[in-house]
Amino acid sequence: MRKTTSCRCILLLILLCNQHIHAFDLGTERLRLSGFGTLGVTSAGKEKFGLQKDFIHDAQFGGVSVLTDSVFGLQLDMNLFQDLSMTVQAVAEDRARQNFNNIVDWAYLSYRPTPSTIVRAGRMGIDLFMLSEYRNVGYAYLWTHPVVEFYKPISLSHYEGFDFKYGRRFEPGFFEFKVYGGQTGSDIKISNGELALRMRPFVGANASLESDNWKVRLTYATTNTSRLDTPFQSLLNTLNQIPQTAWPQAASLRNSLTGKDKQTHYYSIGLAYDDSQWTVQSEFAMMTSKWISLDMTNGYLSVGRRFGPVTLYTVGSYAKSGKRLRIDPTQITVSGLDSLASTTQLLADASHTDQNTISLGARWDFYPRMALKAQWDHTWVRKNGGGLLLLKEPLDQAITLNTFSLNLNFVF
Amino acid sequence: MQYLILTLAAMIVLLPENGWADIVVIVNPDSSIVKLSRRQIIDIYMGRNPGLESGQKIQPLDQPINSAVRAEFYRKLTGKPVSAINAYWARLLFTGRAFPPLLVEDNKAMLNTVLKNPNTVGYLESQYLTERVKVVYKLEKNE
Repeated sequence: MRKTTSCRCILLLILLCNQHIHAFDLGTERLRLSGFGTLGVTSAGKEKFGLQKDFIHDAQFGGVSVLTDSVFGLQLDMNLFQDLSMTVQAVAEDRARQNFNNIVDWAYLSYRPTPSTIVRAGRMGIDLFMLSEYRNVGYAYLWTHPVVEFYKPISLSHYEGFDFKYGRRFEPGFFEFKVYGGQTGSDIKISNGELALRMRPFVGANASLESDNWKVRLTYATTNTSRLDTPFQSLLNTLNQIPQTAWPQAASLRNSLTGKDKQTHYYSIGLAYDDSQWTVQSEFAMMTSKWISLDMTNGYLSVGRRFGPVTLYTVGSYAKSGKRLRIDPTQITVSGLDSLASTTQLLADASHTDQNTISLGARWDFYPRMALKAQWDHTWVRKNGGGLLLLKEPLDQAITLNTFSLNLNFVF
Repeated sequence: MQYLILTLAAMIVLLPENGWADIVVIVNPDSSIVKLSRRQIIDIYMGRNPGLESGQKIQPLDQPINSAVRAEFYRKLTGKPVSAINAYWARLLFTGRAFPPLLVEDNKAMLNTVLKNPNTVGYLESQYLTERVKVVYKLEKNE
């Protein structure tokens, strides 16, 4: 009975959202409801090495799951006054921590003082990548899921603050510039448990130039980790108590593994080309931080070729952390610290990333606003480089993983 | 029989090569817009600017989402298949950047909506054109 009611509600929503204008006099459109969704089936991970597409999700340790890629979102836009509107977006998906605060992805006011400028305030999508504000909208991009190596390290979906955007045509294209500031954070799941991350202030800017077929985009953002509730805080406290004479390396290890009060800088460049046949996209990023978990370079290249309603594509991607922390046991001058040293090494390795993936896939636009996608990912993870996996045991040898995903994407 | 053959021959000769007539971009006769460039039409229909240089705001109108005329309009205008345009608009809508053009039911509804609303821009197949609206751009059948 409940299922039937839900189906009717969804059908009614779709009908509401697809209505054509019947009265020729338009008046003012006050309210607009839109939605998006992905129904996905995914085979991913291994018994001891879980695959997550995002740190906010639970990992998949082998088998087949409908939760990994499935997502449903609703967006309500309201015109409050001329040039002033409000947008709320709610997203239902599998998360490590489900609560109302996480479900409301966006809630902001938008003011357009001139045709070229927009000022927004409230909770808005993180705008660091080509896909950043629509990574949940599978229909809007080519693949079955955002490229793990590039998008997973920044598992932030929104921030609270303001942004200011200016856009106008400057030949040879349309130019946009945006600055923003506020605070962000997320509740994420890592190998050692759950972790609450809060970052403030979060400030950045991006600029893009888009012509008929080309788009180039530059991004810079910086933030400070203002709060970090980690499951390994006691280990860090223990390292802090080790005398310099007993283990000289302990202080620097603690410093590298501590995220709180560390500044992180993010730089990226994105390039996209899209014509009637080819769709190509590439992004490269560099994150620098004294917190080793956020010290990384990553990137990808995606090439797709359209054959009527079907697009065949391939993606190559990589993510590599900065220098791996290595504990030098010869520096330990007192006995009894061996266990602490090996635990510290495991913690350092759990956040060290060294992997790359080759993907092959197909997207079929079989109906307006609906697409069916299938993708195979083959991932190579280097020894002690499983920072993007959820590890049930240390990754003391290189492994490969295969991920198969089949998605139905729609918007309305 | 002779008449039938002649009529069929005439139809074959008169039909456009791709089966399409011209598509014309239209505005209300009271609109201050006299002409639009291809570039301006692309910006209007790709959500890049809600108004012209003069500051005048424009509401673009679209043909039904699965109509052949809509697919042909975007193909001629941008060179891209309509599936790419639909995905592009999903990106804009779900990043809060712009709303897609309002959909009308067919060519006749397009004509009537433009006639009723001075700030709208629409497009239709040229055989539905009347003198009551202003043509500001023409996408030729062979483009």
